[in-house]
Amino acid sequence: MSNTKTVSTAKGLVIKDLNKSYGSVHVVKDLNLDVLPGEFLVLLGPSGCGKTTALRMVAGLEEVQSGSITLGDTDVTTMPPKYRDVAMVFQSYALYPHKTVAENIGFPLKMRGIGVTEREQAVREAAQQVHLETLLERYPRQLSGGQRQRVALARAIIRRPAVFLMDEPLSNLDAQLRGFMRAELKHMQHALGVTTLYVTHDQIEAMTLAHRVAIINDGALQQLGTPREVYNDPANLFVAGFMGSPPMNFIQGEIENSRFQGAGIDLAVTGVADNGKTTLGFRPEDAEVVDAGQGLFDAIVYAAEMTGEQTLVTIELDETYFVIKMPKDFETDIGSQVGVRFAAEHGYLFNTGSGTRLRNCAVVMV
Amino acid sequence: MTKSSPDYQANQSLYARLFEPQVIGKMPVGTQILVYSALVIWTLFVLFPIYWVLITSFKDIADVNGGPYFLPWIDFTPSLHAWKELFVVDYEDTLTAYMNSIIIALASTLLCSMIGSMAAYALARIEYKPKFGTIALFVVSMILASIAVGSYGIDWKIAVAVALAIFALMARGLSRRFTRSVGNGDILFWMISQRILPPVVVVVPIYMMFQQLHLLDTHIALILTYTVVNLPIVVWLMYDFFVSIPKDLEESAQLDGATRFTTFWEIVLPMARPGLAATTLLVMILAWNEYLLALFISTSNAQTMPILVAAMNAGERGILWWSMSVVIIVMIIPVVAMAIVLQRFISKGVLLGAVKG
Repeated sequence: MSNTKTVSTAKGLVIKDLNKSYGSVHVVKDLNLDVLPGEFLVLLGPSGCGKTTALRMVAGLEEVQSGSITLGDTDVTTMPPKYRDVAMVFQSYALYPHKTVAENIGFPLKMRGIGVTEREQAVREAAQQVHLETLLERYPRQLSGGQRQRVALARAIIRRPAVFLMDEPLSNLDAQLRGFMRAELKHMQHALGVTTLYVTHDQIEAMTLAHRVAIINDGALQQLGTPREVYNDPANLFVAGFMGSPPMNFIQGEIENSRFQGAGIDLAVTGVADNGKTTLGFRPEDAEVVDAGQGLFDAIVYAAEMTGEQTLVTIELDETYFVIKMPKDFETDIGSQVGVRFAAEHGYLFNTGSGTRLRNCAVVMV
Repeated sequence: MTKSSPDYQANQSLYARLFEPQVIGKMPVGTQILVYSALVIWTLFVLFPIYWVLITSFKDIADVNGGPYFLPWIDFTPSLHAWKELFVVDYEDTLTAYMNSIIIALASTLLCSMIGSMAAYALARIEYKPKFGTIALFVVSMILASIAVGSYGIDWKIAVAVALAIFALMARGLSRRFTRSVGNGDILFWMISQRILPPVVVVVPIYMMFQQLHLLDTHIALILTYTVVNLPIVVWLMYDFFVSIPKDLEESAQLDGATRFTTFWEIVLPMARPGLAATTLLVMILAWNEYLLALFISTSNAQTMPILVAAMNAGERGILWWSMSVVIIVMIIPVVAMAIVLQRFISKGVLLGAVKG
């Protein structure tokens, strides 16, 4: 793959107050996104959250019920897909089975009436970019999953579109290949500098690929920010619980008289006196298992799993289970009494009912 | 469950035993003999009539009437008299009918496959919602036009024009009041319901229609009739093929810059080729063998082969078995040739369809 940065035709993409319902199901709710030119923006959310529908509306494959989509300076809200200057990579790759790899890659140019010689040249260049130059005469059925994926990518890049749309393009690949293709995608997007809107439910993909991540749940945008921002500074309970593997640990409780009480623990809180039902969260890697009586609270070891690079310790406290990441040489006995400790800035407080983050307040460490 | 696990293999062999056809060569000898005998008997059963027609076409009149004789050169001496009569003495009638059959069958098949597959694609991909009220209004205005023509002797052109005008004027208002509509499934059923009707019911109206248009005994009349009669079959069969093609492919083509028609032509139709080949073959055979409608619509100029065969049944010389056999053999040849040509696509297509996305 060449490292020369192609002259970018990248355009910004602005999504404003986008709505879509199927019958009584409101799948996309007032979505607002401003994708910068050349940016890699990932729509991340659980399956069925409306992210694919939003992407398909940008592509023009779904009708927009209200709101607008602007690409560069053009309002494309009601424009048919073929005029939108977007290319899409489908989850199923959507290769034309009766056409060879070369014909598949060249199809967008053929539809634009570009001559055979020029087309062949472009097909060769696009194929080189995804290392397919030796497979041009094959049919999709003769290719492996990874190769099919590359054909789909080549077909998308050949037209130098203003925006790439990708709908879970890596989800049909096996884990090893997925990791490799992920790196390649990131490199290619960087090299081409094309604005990219990428849909996935895989947070690792989102974290590794994105310049910015838009986390969506129930059709509504939960948080938009860099991977680091959404990970370190989650806006609400959903984002906190969705990002991270294993996910953030939560303790249900209440804040009364500047004290957080729940699951049998009792901690002082600064910044807020009374909040009613509150959730205290902390990340597995931010906490550590210490000797009983040394931490914020004591609990029982439920299980300890050595994964190679680390040990995942599951702790039970009053029928609530937490996972804590410890170094790989950490050893403990199941059933033993231990303490749990984490720094004040690593404790997140959320309003249990609305899910919103309680900012400017923290648990007080002993 | 991975492919190498014993569980998977055990299940595989169970599936194989239950659902996959067994290879005859791997069966016990006794079973093999039984299976082969059954197959041979069935083959003879199917092929014997064709053999009989073939030798009858080479028999003298005396040999046909005196028979049964089974083996040429042993039971009877083959003669070309029937072939000579049809292709040398009386060749004009035979060739006219042959060309008529070919032209009518090919043209109607072509039209039917084209229109039918486009209609099927539209039904598979576009959601239609024709309003009940609009359909009823159309039917009512046509009925009124017929009454005007039939009972009051008004010129049919004026009646139809007035009826269409009334329909056009009222359709909009009516569709706003009656919002109940039918869907694609209803349209599809309406199409196939046209085949439920036995053709003999509509043969007289069709005859009168072509009489009015002065198109009786022309190629066009038969081509149009066969196209309309076979259209539901094409729509119904092709609909199934189009529905099974993943939508992603068409959406991808649209994003790649294809119009609806190029999507259909470049992507959908090539993928539906096995279905199209099978459907075309079926429709062609139906048109080729059609007798009843041809009997009514054609008299001499547009006479087709089935009519010629039937004519040999009713001459003053009695049933001409020998001539009939010649015509039947000549009739079978193009269909067999077509089947061989199209079979290539059918089997090739099955493999192509097995590949996902």
